[in-house]
Amino acid sequence: MTANVLILSAAGMLVSAYLMVGQKALFTTIRLYGLQSLLLAIVATTMAVSESRPELFVTAALTVAFKTILIPWFLMRTVDRIGIHREIEPFLNVPVSLLVCLGLTVVGYRVSTGFEEGAQQVTHHLIGVALSLLLIGLFLMVTRKKAITQILALLTVENAVFLVAVGVTTGMPLIVEFGIAFDVILAVLVLGILVQRIVGRFESMDVSRLSNLKG
Amino acid sequence: MVDTLNVDGLVAVGVPLALAIRLTSVVVTLMLARHARACRWVALGASTAASMMTAGVAVRVIESGRAIEGTLFRQAASETVLGYSVTPLSAWFLMVLGLIAVPVALYSAGYFAHAVARPRTAAVGAAVNAMLGGIEVVFVADGVIAFLCGWEVMTLGTAALVATEHQSRQSRRAAYLFLAMSHVGTGCLMAGFMILASAAGSLSFPAILSGHVVSGPVRHGVFALFFIGFGVKAGLIPFHVWLPEAHPAAPSSVSAFMSAVLITAGIYGLFRVCAFGLGTPDVNWALVFMSVGTLSAILGVLYALTQTDIKRLLAYSTIENSGIISLGLGTAMMALADGRSTLATVAATASLMHVLNHAIFKGLLFLGAGSVGMATGTRHIEQFGGLLRPMPWTGLCFLVGALAISGLPLLNGFPSEWLTFQALLLGFSSTPGMIRLTFPLAAALLALTSALAAACFVRAFGISFLALPRSRAASEAHESPVFMLVPLGFLATLCVVLGLFPGGVLRALEGITASLPGLQPPAAMVWDGLGMSSTLTSFDHVVPAMFGLAVLSGLIVSTALTARRGVAVRQAPTWGCGGELTPRSEYTATAFSKPLLMIFGAVYRPTRQVDALAEVSPYFVDEVRYRTEIEPTFERYFYGPLVRGVMQMARGMKVLQAGSLHAYLAYVLVLAVILLMWLGGTT
Amino acid sequence: MMSMQDALLAAGAALLHAGGLLAVAPLLKTVIKKMKARLQNRQGPPLLQGYYDLAKLLRKEPLRSEVASWVYVAGPRVYFAAAVAATTLVPVVFAAAPLEAAGGILLLVGTLALGRFALATAALDTGSPFGGMGASRDMTIAALAEPALMLGLFASALAAGSMNLGVLVRTLVQEGVTLHPADILAFAGLFMIVIAETGRIPVDNPATHLELTMIHEAMVLEYAGPDLALVEWASAVKELLYLTLLVDLFMPVGIATSAAPQAVLVAIVAWVGKVFVLAVAVTVVESTNAKLRLFRVPELVSISLGLAFLALAIRFL
Repeated sequence: MTANVLILSAAGMLVSAYLMVGQKALFTTIRLYGLQSLLLAIVATTMAVSESRPELFVTAALTVAFKTILIPWFLMRTVDRIGIHREIEPFLNVPVSLLVCLGLTVVGYRVSTGFEEGAQQVTHHLIGVALSLLLIGLFLMVTRKKAITQILALLTVENAVFLVAVGVTTGMPLIVEFGIAFDVILAVLVLGILVQRIVGRFESMDVSRLSNLKG
Repeated sequence: MVDTLNVDGLVAVGVPLALAIRLTSVVVTLMLARHARACRWVALGASTAASMMTAGVAVRVIESGRAIEGTLFRQAASETVLGYSVTPLSAWFLMVLGLIAVPVALYSAGYFAHAVARPRTAAVGAAVNAMLGGIEVVFVADGVIAFLCGWEVMTLGTAALVATEHQSRQSRRAAYLFLAMSHVGTGCLMAGFMILASAAGSLSFPAILSGHVVSGPVRHGVFALFFIGFGVKAGLIPFHVWLPEAHPAAPSSVSAFMSAVLITAGIYGLFRVCAFGLGTPDVNWALVFMSVGTLSAILGVLYALTQTDIKRLLAYSTIENSGIISLGLGTAMMALADGRSTLATVAATASLMHVLNHAIFKGLLFLGAGSVGMATGTRHIEQFGGLLRPMPWTGLCFLVGALAISGLPLLNGFPSEWLTFQALLLGFSSTPGMIRLTFPLAAALLALTSALAAACFVRAFGISFLALPRSRAASEAHESPVFMLVPLGFLATLCVVLGLFPGGVLRALEGITASLPGLQPPAAMVWDGLGMSSTLTSFDHVVPAMFGLAVLSGLIVSTALTARRGVAVRQAPTWGCGGELTPRSEYTATAFSKPLLMIFGAVYRPTRQVDALAEVSPYFVDEVRYRTEIEPTFERYFYGPLVRGVMQMARGMKVLQAGSLHAYLAYVLVLAVILLMWLGGTT
Repeated sequence: MMSMQDALLAAGAALLHAGGLLAVAPLLKTVIKKMKARLQNRQGPPLLQGYYDLAKLLRKEPLRSEVASWVYVAGPRVYFAAAVAATTLVPVVFAAAPLEAAGGILLLVGTLALGRFALATAALDTGSPFGGMGASRDMTIAALAEPALMLGLFASALAAGSMNLGVLVRTLVQEGVTLHPADILAFAGLFMIVIAETGRIPVDNPATHLELTMIHEAMVLEYAGPDLALVEWASAVKELLYLTLLVDLFMPVGIATSAAPQAVLVAIVAWVGKVFVLAVAVTVVESTNAKLRLFRVPELVSISLGLAFLALAIRFL
């Protein structure tokens, strides 16, 4: 039962990532990220219950509070302020992007077999999903032009790392978790403000236009 | 009973308390940013209190001969503990710091009011405390992390101070150069420490600096790294290029700190790590120290002779003295390499003594230069002149400093130079082999250096303070306020007292050298209560106090001979070769050092430009313009190509920096995939 | 610590010693002048002329520049005091110097440097270009001569194993003076330096007042009356001191090792004789050479440095 919940949640996270790749509407992308984080919280709660690690409840609560509620709200407010609601044409079009994501998923799963934890089915899936998520996040950052999407991609990568930490290892020391959480929040805040500034300056969120600054 | 307990208790927490005071004052000063006066008093008052506290701890350690240890910072969760340990060697340097910090702080109280713009006072005050706090941590750190933290804070504080006048391009350049070179040095230090730490498996100094951690070529490499790292801070040639730029750029009392104390941070490192932390020194290391020391001494004073900016002159003189200290240390290392501990002790004592003496007279000279700069509004010697009349006390103190720095007897420059000579010359007789020729060679060059230093300071004092004022600013100068004169007087008195009675210093140093590995203090270096003996032969001693009496008697005799009762002294104008004697007919500073400029032309490589300007006809010349420039040898031939090479490399690497964010991210992605496939496939 | 009695004894001895040298010094200068004159087929001044000159100067009205400060007044006095104090470190008649406990060669060199510093600084005080020029040139030559002086003195001191002049002389007398080739080299080097330090031809002309040629004279150009007397006297003492130093280092034969009257008499005669021989050497050098251009002096000094270094190398390698 636990195994099923875990595998389903992980799969859900992967699916949400794929959907993010295919999305053009910024609001939806943000909501998909919220969904992803919620699934991550479910993973954490399950692990807390099944392996009786009460600190994971705290982790789950934090994930829900920050990543499911607070950060998506902040990002949506930023998008509102800027007034740009759609992603513009990315470097690679959607079908090709999806194909690349498939390839990256294969790489992720392949690598996960190399770990000894990969012997178990559940952990095999968890590591595989996490690595794929990481690579897909990176890929999103490479191919998208809007700063908001890049922020979301970064957050996806962070979710992937979290997944591995919570699901496979014995968890990170609390102080490291706090550190990472703080880091992420700060990064999002800064990036959000920065995005507003960029738009104010250049009237565009197109990050590829930053190369105009090249010396 | 209660008193001793209290003192002991205070001593036990002295260092962390002092640092806490400094930290608090930094915060408070920055908060009080608007009230310049309050900032000054808070910052300088806290600095004085903290310095006195650390000096007190230091004196206690020197007296008792035992180190005082404790923790500076503890963070339980990550199990980080930053400890401190005031060893006798650290205590010596702390005492020097405290001794200079207190008068300079008092001086700064008045000086900053005039020399630092009001909005910047807070930043300057905070930076001073940061710098001094960093230096204190460097001296007492017990582990690599504390040391490097203190080192960095010290560097950043100093850089902020150098950039005080950041509207001036020269100041900005000086601060940038200082930062760049300091960080190269720090990088070398980090590398060296990491190598040692990984070999020893620990980050604490007792483990790393026990001397048996590394061996073979690694040991030589580590020595080279530390030599560069500490050499940059100590201002040894060829790492000195930041010194003449940075010291003049900071406010004068800060320059006093920098020359007197910041340099000692580098020297402390050289002592603690290079000389006594890596095991018995290698002969080649000693040779490196001795040659770099001698070279720094000679070149430092040669360049000082040609400066017309008084602070640059003093900065080059600092390089010279740093060289002398290194020479002493090198001699000690050479003796240790040969296993002669008595000679090594004498040389090390000479070196440490010079650290103290240099701090005192250099601090004095910089404060004097600050007073003069404040009174006239300029730093150029050629525009001073006749300042002794309006500023008699500043002039007197400056003269004492000039006499001291020239190593003349009866002042404190003489004992340390005497000891260095004793070590060099008498060490010669007991060293076997051809290598012994380095000793008299070094001694001859040291003699040349001190004679040149005397010439340099005759010039500096004579042109600045004597005869007629050379500019309007000089003629309108007036004496500094009393609380700026008191520190000058204190330091000058110290110069005289330590010159006449070097015994106390020697006694203190005996305990300190006993704590350094391989050194064994000789029977008694204090001779007959008042004198100094090098104990290398049984008859070489000097008793400055006794000789002082002889000179005094000579003065009495001369006055008696020339005293004429009832005959008044007649004053007459100086013969001006038939015309009126104007300031323009006085000798200039450039002219004074011209013979030496020409004799040592191979070192200076001067270029000269003479323009005769005429309006009506070339036969009726209106004005002759003369311009002479010394070639900046190190900047042109060493640093120029180095910087150009680095910029070339950077330009080449610019191709990678396409400027596109996506390109960078793509690099990351590709790399991540490759790494995962390569490493992930295997277990 | 010395007892009060010992201290008083030493003080008394020092006073006598210094006083004696002070008394004899002007005679040396005049003797050299007279010998030079004789070599030039002139009569030369009477032997007591040095004393007459000093007396005349001391009687004159003190005259000072109105531009100058107390440094100008202090200069000659410190110069004089330094020269006089330096004499107490050098053994003359007895195989001991009265204040030899106070220091040795290094202190001697340092004291003379102190005197020079004072005089050079004071020279800048009058605002006249001659003073500055003289100070500049003198400090330059002194700076160049210092390493050679140091090495030369040291080469000879090392043979006796101490840098304390009293001990040195006693050791030499005890072991008997043998002339090692190194000694000759060191002597030649030191002799050249003595010429440079005392300001004689070929380094400097003590009798000229032409701007192009004077070095020491330019420094003291602005002094008159009693101040000038002090300077002249101190220069004479310095000269005597240097020659005595040479005698002590290389030929201390005949110096008195006891207080017996015959020994003292022999010592005085020996010393006078040896100093006279050196004075003749100085005269010959002065009369047979032309003054060097200022920028040729470093060459002379470097030759001297080389000789001193060779002396060291030969003896100990």
